Formats: sequence, C-alpha cells, structure tokens
Amino acid sequence: MTQIFTVSELNSRISDRLEGDLRLHDLWARGEVSNYVHHRSGHRYFTLKDREAQISCVLFRSNGGALDFEMNDGKNVLIYGDVTVYRPQGRVQLVARGIKQDEGLGFRHLQLEALKERLAAEGLFAPERKRPLPRYPERIGIVTSPQGAALRDVLRTLGNYPARIILSPAQVQGEEAEKSIAAALLALQGRSDLIIVCRGGGSTEDLWCFNSEMVARAIFACDAPVISAVGHETDVTVADHVADARAATPTAAAKMAVPDLEEVQEALKYTKVRMMRALWTSLEKAEDRLGHLQHALSARRMYSLSRDSRQRLDYLSQRLEGAEAGRLNRHKSRLELLAGRLGAVGPQETLLRGYAIARSGKSLIVKAADVRPGEDIELILSQGRLYCRVLECRNDEEAML
Amino acid sequence: MKQEETSLEGALDNLEQIVEVLEEGKMSLEESLELYERGMKLVALCQSRLQNAEKRIECLTGELPSDLS
Repeated sequence: MTQIFTVSELNSRISDRLEGDLRLHDLWARGEVSNYVHHRSGHRYFTLKDREAQISCVLFRSNGGALDFEMNDGKNVLIYGDVTVYRPQGRVQLVARGIKQDEGLGFRHLQLEALKERLAAEGLFAPERKRPLPRYPERIGIVTSPQGAALRDVLRTLGNYPARIILSPAQVQGEEAEKSIAAALLALQGRSDLIIVCRGGGSTEDLWCFNSEMVARAIFACDAPVISAVGHETDVTVADHVADARAATPTAAAKMAVPDLEEVQEALKYTKVRMMRALWTSLEKAEDRLGHLQHALSARRMYSLSRDSRQRLDYLSQRLEGAEAGRLNRHKSRLELLAGRLGAVGPQETLLRGYAIARSGKSLIVKAADVRPGEDIELILSQGRLYCRVLECRNDEEAML
Repeated sequence: MKQEETSLEGALDNLEQIVEVLEEGKMSLEESLELYERGMKLVALCQSRLQNAEKRIECLTGELPSDLS
C-alpha cells in the first residue's frame, strides 16, 4: 500500500533519519566559507564548499563567542558540529559548534592522513619493529643537504666522538626532494650502522617531502636504524613515524646517536676501579689462606722472612702452590707487587705499638741467655735503630712483662 | 685480540663481562690476574679509541663543502 506523506511528515522523517545517525554527529568538516552573513540576531549563516559540493551552515549566537579569527568569504575553515535538517525548507545543514581556521592545506592533509593510515596498517609505524640504536656506532650515515645548517648542527654535536661519518647528500626541499632523499638513504646500504636523516626548520611546505610515501618506504628499507629529525619540535612527519627513533631537532638527533664521551670516560675509569677492587679481594682471599701459615711460623722465621719480602714471598707462594696445586710460581713477579702490602702484616705494626726487635749480629735475641754482658746488640724500633751494650743478663721470670 | 674486541662496543661489552666475572670472585688468583690484565688492556684500548679525536667525514657523492673537509 502506498503511503502518502504530508511535506511536514516527510521532512520529519528525513530529519529523524539524519539526526539519529551517529556518524553525522560530533564530526569535523573542512571547506571554504562563502555567502557569509552575520545576522543581527547574532547567528552566522554561510555555505561551506569545496570544488564539487556545498552545504549550508549555521553558527548560532550561543556558540559563536569563541571564534578566534575573522570569518569572511573565501576563508578555509574546520567546522565541528552536527548535521541537522531545517524542516521549514527541507534543507540539510551543518550546525557548527566550533570553527577553527584551517591552515590552508586542505586536501593534501586529507591525503596525508590517508597515507598515514595505510602505512600504519602495513605495520611501518609499529613500535615492535623499531630497531634499537647501537650504543657505540662506528659508522654514522647522514642524509641531508651538504649546505644546510642541520648538517653543521649534527657534526658539531657529534663532536669528537670517534666514528666515521658518511654524508649521503640529498635535496631536502623542492620537487626532486623525495626522490633525492630516498636515493641517498639507499646509497648508505651496507655502509653505516646508524643513519640520521635530517633537515632544519621550515614551513610545512618545505618539510612536505618528509611526508612522502617514497621516503617512508626508503627509511623502512634501511639496513641500519634510522633517526629522523625534521624541522622543529612541533613538526612530526611521516618520516618521523617510520624512523626507528625520532628526534625533535638535528642537534637532538646527534645527541641521541652517540654516547656522551665524558660519561664513557668516567665509566671506563670506574671500570678500572672495579677491576682493581675485585683483584684486591681475590688477593686478600689468597692472603687469608696463608694466614694460618704465618701464625705457625716462629718469631725468628717470621722476622727473617719479613726482612726480605722477596724471600718471604717465595716461601708463601710455595705454600700457596702446594695448597692450590696451582702454578703461582709463574706469577711470582706479579705477586712481588704485593710485597709492600704484605709488609704491613710483618713486624712493623708490632713495632709501632712500642715493641722492639733485639738483635745480635744476624740472629734475634729472644731470651736473656742469647747474649752476654758487654756484648753489643742492636734494637730495631718502628723508626730507626739503637746500638746498645748489655750490662747484665738476668734470666728471672719477673723480667717478663 | 678477538674480533668483537676490535670495535668499541665489543670492547666495552667484553670489559663489562670481565668486571662481572672478576667481581664474582670465583676464579683462582692466577686466573683473576690474567683477567685483570686483559681488562686493563681493554680499558687502554677503549681510551685510546675515544681519544682519537680525528674527525673522519666522507661524502658519498660530490665534494664535501669546504667548511667541513
């Protein structure tokens, strides 16, 4: 059965249909303003158009306060709003809730978004495929203009870092730029272990070549990790998305590429300290093993050993050899380095506490009977010696301390 | 010297391993000394590489701009 609508019913039905579609709400639209009228009611009426189509728009007064630019015909704008139907006239319109000035890139931006989506879908931007940068690159490839300030910034920042720097010149602006950049990247194949592709700041136009698919694929195909540094902090290009790392500026890229030389030097110094400390620990362990042997020695032998570190070390290293079944003899000369250290556990410490070593000729005096009255003896103190003559030899117990 | 020790990265990696083994302290004194000596050689190697400040820039096509060569 055929249903006959009144016009009101028809427009209501259209309106319900459109206004019930979520895809026509909270949307952004881009176009050029024409037929702009700022009505005395405070509402603004205009047509938004591109080359092939147009749509009526209205910005009601309640939403119009926040316009941060002068609206007029010919202006490119971005509109945020909802599609509705103006029932009295059966007119589909875009009711704007916000309007921003479009920077005038219109169509190209849409293309760019489409390219980004496509490359992202292919996995070119995937975080898991980004390669880690080498910590200490030996060959750094740079793709940029040989004349540009970017190259100078990079070289200055790389400073004295000892790497080979391979410049692969490219045009970074203009018609031929994308081909040139892609070719320069390809030329670095097999020649570098890190690549910096960069150019200094410029207009969005100037940087546009870094949004090209050709450059994106060339970066993706590089056999070394790529750092991209295009323009300034706020400029993010497709190249930045594909690269293994993105730096805000060429200088930042160079900083990212190589470690701080002073830090490495410091780390090396610390490594040295760590090794020495570890070695001392090992030596101390070996010494501990010898400790009980030292205690077993008589004072006389102890002394004669400590008098001559070399001799003592021979003795200790022999014992160690026996204990370890090692071949320490071969390293005796190294162990001699320890002589000074080992000396510290000799009589010196005891002497410092006020004791003295009494000696007659070459032999130690350990009891009164070892010498006779009138005999010349030598007292070794912690510092210096005394040459004395014995007055009396008393063998009694009270002489003991 | 082994292949991986000829690059700075290789040498530093190697050094790191040596320090770790040394610090573990499970080796004989003799082995420790040998390792220590090797480590010190690597430190010297790395330092000499880092101090080799000679900048080497080459250009794949055309001439380097005069202010860079």
